[in-house]
Amino acid sequence: MGAAVSGLGEGANGSGMGPSLGDIPESCVACVFMYLTPPQICNLARLNRAFRGAASSDSVWESKLPPNFQDLLDLLPAERYQNLSKKDIFALLCRPVPFDHGNKEAWLDRVTGRVCMAISARGMAITGIDDRRYWNWIPTEESRFNSVAYLQQIWWFEVDGVVKFPFPADTYTLSFRLHLGRFSKRLGRRVCNFEHTHGWDIKPVRFEFSNSDGQQASCEFFLDDTERDDINGNHKRGCWIDYKVGEFVVSGSEPVTEVRFSMKQIDCTHSKGGLCVDSLFIIPSDLKKLKRRGVLK
Amino acid sequence: MSSSKSNKIVKLESSDNKTFEVEEAVAVQSETLKNMVDDGCANDTIPLPNVNGKILEMVLGWCKKHVDETVTGDELNKYEADFLDLDQADLYGLLMAANFLNVKGLLDRVLQRVADMIKGKKPEEIRRIFNIKNDFTPEEEEEIRLENAWAFD
Repeated sequence: MGAAVSGLGEGANGSGMGPSLGDIPESCVACVFMYLTPPQICNLARLNRAFRGAASSDSVWESKLPPNFQDLLDLLPAERYQNLSKKDIFALLCRPVPFDHGNKEAWLDRVTGRVCMAISARGMAITGIDDRRYWNWIPTEESRFNSVAYLQQIWWFEVDGVVKFPFPADTYTLSFRLHLGRFSKRLGRRVCNFEHTHGWDIKPVRFEFSNSDGQQASCEFFLDDTERDDINGNHKRGCWIDYKVGEFVVSGSEPVTEVRFSMKQIDCTHSKGGLCVDSLFIIPSDLKKLKRRGVLK
Repeated sequence: MSSSKSNKIVKLESSDNKTFEVEEAVAVQSETLKNMVDDGCANDTIPLPNVNGKILEMVLGWCKKHVDETVTGDELNKYEADFLDLDQADLYGLLMAANFLNVKGLLDRVLQRVADMIKGKKPEEIRRIFNIKNDFTPEEEEEIRLENAWAFD
């Protein structure tokens, strides 16, 4: 316990009511902080000196970091994290840490400290990506990777990828972020163009993933509405949609998890096009649920 | 747990000189007291200058309830919930006592209760509600605000 234990008679705040929250020693505040999230802790750091001290305590922040946080730090040059306190390490890892030539990034969710990942379309194997009759890269702020792959038209639509990463124990949801139609800014307003959008209502796209330990899932989605209703509007067009492929469970960061994922529509009797492929997300399933309910930002 | 069921009594004295006698099984709910018992230091009255009589009685009540085999799970849950319905001074005293005596289940509950009371409130509000002195200068406080801004981006 901290050295500053005041007598239990009169509080240091002189309230006359007896000791109060302001008299709790730093070590005790640190215990309370184990029950709060990082943003809550940072909010309380300026309450008084005991709270500030506890808010910088390594033991508190070590409990918020994933057990294998060093694996994330290893993606950065050593000088970025040398001599940092555990709190500073947490702050550092809340910002995306790029790897694989910047085609992938990992970060800690700042509320829960859980590991999240995004993989750019540039980090995936896309059939025909080099043929400008089929695919083009569009620079955009709407992607965290600053560009998305735009499909004009193709018969063989296939996107494959793999990631090998020491995910800490958790249940993760895998999803592709796609956008039907091409978007741009005209006079400050966002405008969508569907001139190339076709074929997605004829057959569904097949989404799959499989894991190094045998977990797998697959599902099919029509990316476009099969009945286009002019009155109600087509909710699949003109916005970013996360297509959930499935979930997988990681029991620990060793052995390293390897996930293969793909989406395909290779029925060559019909062509398809007018689609933006941004990225794939691997996010703890609980987090995804909380974000969807609007609980977390 | 000792191999034979001991009927030994442990004697405790609070900071305001009240004595309490409890069975060893009750006392060892406190890790601190358990260590003393194991080390053979619990033969005389154990002084607890950090804990007053009122709080010690509460803590011992908690410990007794948790070794009572006639208490059902539901009764225990209700007891625990009602237990923490305290005013600020008692909550603070209980926090310090549970921490010092290291009564795990109780400490978890009290810490959670304190955490629930302060989360989501601005420091200004907490200072007002709990009558806490701001021992920072405005400059210091601003500096702390800036160094913690990363959590709110």
